[in-house]
Amino acid sequence: MADVLEKYGAPENYVNRELSWLEFNYRILGEARDKTTPLFERLKFLSITASNLDEFFMVRVASLKDMIHAGYKKPDIAGMTAEQQLEAIGAKTHELVADQYKTYNRMLLPLLKQHGLRIIQSHEQLTPEEAAYVDRYFEESVYPVLTPMAVDSSRPFPLIRNKSLNLAALVRKKKGDGELEFATVRVPGVLPRVVELPQTDGEKAIIYLEEIIERNIEKLFLNYEIISCHPFRIMRNADLSIDEDEAEDLLKEIEKRLKERQWGEVIRLEIEEKADRRLVKMLKKELSVGSGDIYEINGPLDLTVLMKVFGLPGFEAYKAAPYTPQPVPALMNDDDIFTNIRKNDILLTHPFETFEPVVQFIQKAAVDPDVLAIKQTLYRVSGNSPIIRALAEAADNGKQVSVLVELKARFDEENNIIWAKMLEKAGCHVIYGLLGLKTHSKITLVVRKEEEGIRRYVHLGTGNYNDSTAKLYTDCGLLTCDPQIGEDATAVFNMLSGYSEPLAWNKLSLAPLWLRGRFVRLIQREARNARNGRPARIVAKMNSLCDREIIANLYDASCAGVTIELIVRGICCLKAGIPNLSENITVRSIVGNFLEHSRIFFFENDGDPLIFMGSADWMPRNLDRRVEILFPVEDGRLKERLIHMLEVQLADNVKAQYLQPDGSYEKPDRRGKPPVCAQETFCQEAVAAAEEAGKETDPASARVFVPLRQ
Amino acid sequence: MAIKTFAAIDVGSFELELGIYELSGKYGIREIDHVRHPLALGKDTYNDGKISHELVEEMCDLLNRFGEVMKTYRVQDYRAFASSALREAKNSRIVLDRIRVRTGLKVRTVNNSELRFKSYKAVAARETEFLEAQKSGMALIDVGFGSSQISLFDEGVLISTQNLLLGVLRLSEMSSHWRVNNSLIPEIIEEIIDNELYTFKKIFLKERQIRTLIATGESINYMVKRGMREKERDRFTAEEFRAFCGRLEKMSLEEIEERFDLSRDYAEILVPSAILYRNVLEITGAEWLWTPGITLCDGIAAEYAQENRIVKFHHDFDEDILSTARSMAKRYKCHGAHVREVERACEMIFTAMKKYHGLGSRERLLLRIAAILHDCGKFVSITRGTESSYGIIMATEIIGLSHLEREIVANVVRYNIQEYAYDEVMVETDPSQYAAGVSKQDLNILIAKLTAILRLANSMDRSHSQKLKDCRMAVRDNTLVVTTAYPGSIALEEYSFGQKADFFEEVFDIRPVLRQKRGM
Repeated sequence: MADVLEKYGAPENYVNRELSWLEFNYRILGEARDKTTPLFERLKFLSITASNLDEFFMVRVASLKDMIHAGYKKPDIAGMTAEQQLEAIGAKTHELVADQYKTYNRMLLPLLKQHGLRIIQSHEQLTPEEAAYVDRYFEESVYPVLTPMAVDSSRPFPLIRNKSLNLAALVRKKKGDGELEFATVRVPGVLPRVVELPQTDGEKAIIYLEEIIERNIEKLFLNYEIISCHPFRIMRNADLSIDEDEAEDLLKEIEKRLKERQWGEVIRLEIEEKADRRLVKMLKKELSVGSGDIYEINGPLDLTVLMKVFGLPGFEAYKAAPYTPQPVPALMNDDDIFTNIRKNDILLTHPFETFEPVVQFIQKAAVDPDVLAIKQTLYRVSGNSPIIRALAEAADNGKQVSVLVELKARFDEENNIIWAKMLEKAGCHVIYGLLGLKTHSKITLVVRKEEEGIRRYVHLGTGNYNDSTAKLYTDCGLLTCDPQIGEDATAVFNMLSGYSEPLAWNKLSLAPLWLRGRFVRLIQREARNARNGRPARIVAKMNSLCDREIIANLYDASCAGVTIELIVRGICCLKAGIPNLSENITVRSIVGNFLEHSRIFFFENDGDPLIFMGSADWMPRNLDRRVEILFPVEDGRLKERLIHMLEVQLADNVKAQYLQPDGSYEKPDRRGKPPVCAQETFCQEAVAAAEEAGKETDPASARVFVPLRQ
Repeated sequence: MAIKTFAAIDVGSFELELGIYELSGKYGIREIDHVRHPLALGKDTYNDGKISHELVEEMCDLLNRFGEVMKTYRVQDYRAFASSALREAKNSRIVLDRIRVRTGLKVRTVNNSELRFKSYKAVAARETEFLEAQKSGMALIDVGFGSSQISLFDEGVLISTQNLLLGVLRLSEMSSHWRVNNSLIPEIIEEIIDNELYTFKKIFLKERQIRTLIATGESINYMVKRGMREKERDRFTAEEFRAFCGRLEKMSLEEIEERFDLSRDYAEILVPSAILYRNVLEITGAEWLWTPGITLCDGIAAEYAQENRIVKFHHDFDEDILSTARSMAKRYKCHGAHVREVERACEMIFTAMKKYHGLGSRERLLLRIAAILHDCGKFVSITRGTESSYGIIMATEIIGLSHLEREIVANVVRYNIQEYAYDEVMVETDPSQYAAGVSKQDLNILIAKLTAILRLANSMDRSHSQKLKDCRMAVRDNTLVVTTAYPGSIALEEYSFGQKADFFEEVFDIRPVLRQKRGM
């Protein structure tokens, strides 16, 4: 193993993960620029690039800054130091932002206008009627919630909140000494940023709230003369890395950190392009931001607002047809879910199929008198989650309910703490995560006492137990009562409760202890088979690929002749198609209407293919610092379905983009080939399957009545 | 419901374990959950002689959590046993009481022979494979941390079992003090094992035919489940196992950790363990190694299922205990025919007196063992035979018997000849360990009863000639009438019988009478 790393571990064989991530955001931007994408979907994609970039700054850029502060000199997988990375990121991000606004200004705005939505860029463009309307709106609704703040020698520079949108003004006291002063007001988050203006011609027009405030800024600083006024926005270091060894009470620690978060160092300043230089200089000094971290924006700040524009009523013709997740054929009968699981393992493919069975699984278990215990790991839960309610109900019904609530789920702590406390109150046994490890696995175990003794029902998934995101993320789940998986599931929860590892695992592989080795052995087996002239192939679908050891082994397998087809949505530190390194590796990324999120792994295994699914990406954090589960899918029909899904994704030539040897991504040449869009195909297939199953069970369609016999 | 949910708790020297089982006639014994947690009780006991307050607290917390698991499964009954660390701690009674008060769990201490017997029962519970092994001739090696146990069988019945001070932890501990090259360690360990096994081989093994070696113990479970998992079975040829051990012995600790996915602590004991198993395999000459992969909790569950007649075992475990006692008697050159006759007479008296002594099957077993061993001390000293018998019994582990039970047997044998000492009869063990609410007085009476029966039975073959082989017995009008049709003189028996009659009457209020029918 060490020699594989030695052989392929050189930095030049790898791509820096941040730069690869920016490539990913470019691919999303590509969707926003793609003329075949419906207009309003393009707005959505552009909005996603903006929110992604925000998170990227808060987490990744912040982390690099931390490294520099800490004097951390170790180079990354691609041999770059933190400084070098920041420099490279800076250049590329400025480019990306410029492209975002080019897309917005030159492509989308004209098209929107053409299709009946006028976005008023600046208040100067308002018609007199519109101007009167916004002024009235300002006085009635906006003015009361504003807190204007002027800075002078007696009043210090105010705290600017992370990610908040503000207006900065350069002002001069009307009866003063003529000295320029700084004033600011926050664009209130409580009011909608998109303000619709009444129109007479049946078209729609909107203006952003900051423009309305800017237009009325004099009303806020009555004793001042306004020299100039511009919106600005800052981003602070917000990555939480809690030292668990020192935190006495993890819960309190995180609560404390949440309050601290907005006080972090400023790592990005966005300000209108045409802003007064004097104003920029003041902000730069007061917020202590470096020149490279200032982004001058040609357009509205914070493009995540486009999600709101997307949500405007009407314009349905310019949005993707809404899709309703389909019922699961195996469950379309009168039997309860446990009976159906006993018949066969059940594969769930969200959002093509509904997430409802997972919720029902827990709801049913909560009220079933034969159920003894329900155990579940919760990572990110939706607000008002039906799963949480069901768990609380189960505890109320005297069942033993154990829930591991992961408090360390990024940006979600506050949400999770509330649920965790509620569950505890309801009588559930709540574990607040594990020391030093994030519990990322998605597993539910229902223990039921049946005629023949204990039977265990298990749900294993690739996505979180979140009924909202299950409509947007592509994820897979497996419902099974395989006793060996049941035994392993019990062992998982025993380990999560602090007991020793089991003597051996039947079918599951767990990170951080066993999973890495398992993957490496699976890859090495393919390499061995290829060297022995046997068929060898790996198809792996995941969100990110950036683990050095895994990549080195993939290179080795490629050199041995294994066909490796990777479907990696986001970061990919592997270089594809490089002679004598990765000639046999192809990487494609699918960016579609749904967020690709499932992790599926196929190994040829000398003609006896193995299919696994799991919660882990091939990233060091998943393999080394998280509790993750990889599970096999062994039912022949389900394996076929998953292999089919992988094949369709490999054939995608509409939403897939291929990684080129130079690190860029390109859409494949489609000439002579029918277009294949994997997500659309799966939607259609799910509809067809549900229809087919509906026919079978609908008594009215049979035309023959079936008398029931006792 | 026909299925009983049962919990077994093993308070070990290094680890606490809980097993949850479903017991039923239909499905047998099924483990449905198993949790373990390390807790170094042994360290405290072996270093300070007692278990510290902190550790007791930790143990109680853990046992309370076990209780939660038991509640989840709606466990109907449980047994909890503590082995050497807790048993040998000076403050064991206090600790056991703390546990009872804080957790509501009643934990019993058990000795080596009881412990091994439970594991053995778990092996026997795997009936198909066990019968298979039985047919071919088998031996059982159970390797523990501090010591190991080798058991030999004849025609499927246990005949001898021997505790050897060859534990894996002990061996790896020893080897850590040797200042030699690591590659030499396997060889030195092998020498130690060889020495230790030599005596065993000379005395017990002889020319016995052994085809299957049954290997149990935590370390072999790891070796098989993790190191040989590609074989996907639990039966290996001697050749396969030898090859495996060969590979293992050549591995560095790091390699073992990596390959077996084990912590350093476990990795360290794997090599001595492999050498030990391999050596036993060699000296027994077995062709097969069977690793049933059982734990002590499995044994506790098997014993419970057997004792409560939930699961029917084809194997007779009492016969195992008796036969080991018999081979012990044989080793001490006891008079075979006489011993058999005394044992038979004991059983007859026990049966005839059933209504009057009120004792159960376990006491009957103890009585039979006492009969079998009643003369073993003569091997050491003819004149001081009784004391020697007592000494031998107290010094020899008898598989399946608790320490207290062994003490009872030893005392019965002692007072078979010595004058009964009434309140002076001494038992070291805490009688409450035997069964709830048993006092020293109760034990005194039990010993008296068994002694009275043994004395009488012994007197009936005073001449060692089995003259009363044909006798019949019945209780009539407060007399136990023993009738024989032996044609010759039974003067010696009559005299002896008369001598023992007083004590018998004193104990049972029944007068034994010996009648010789003539001219039949």
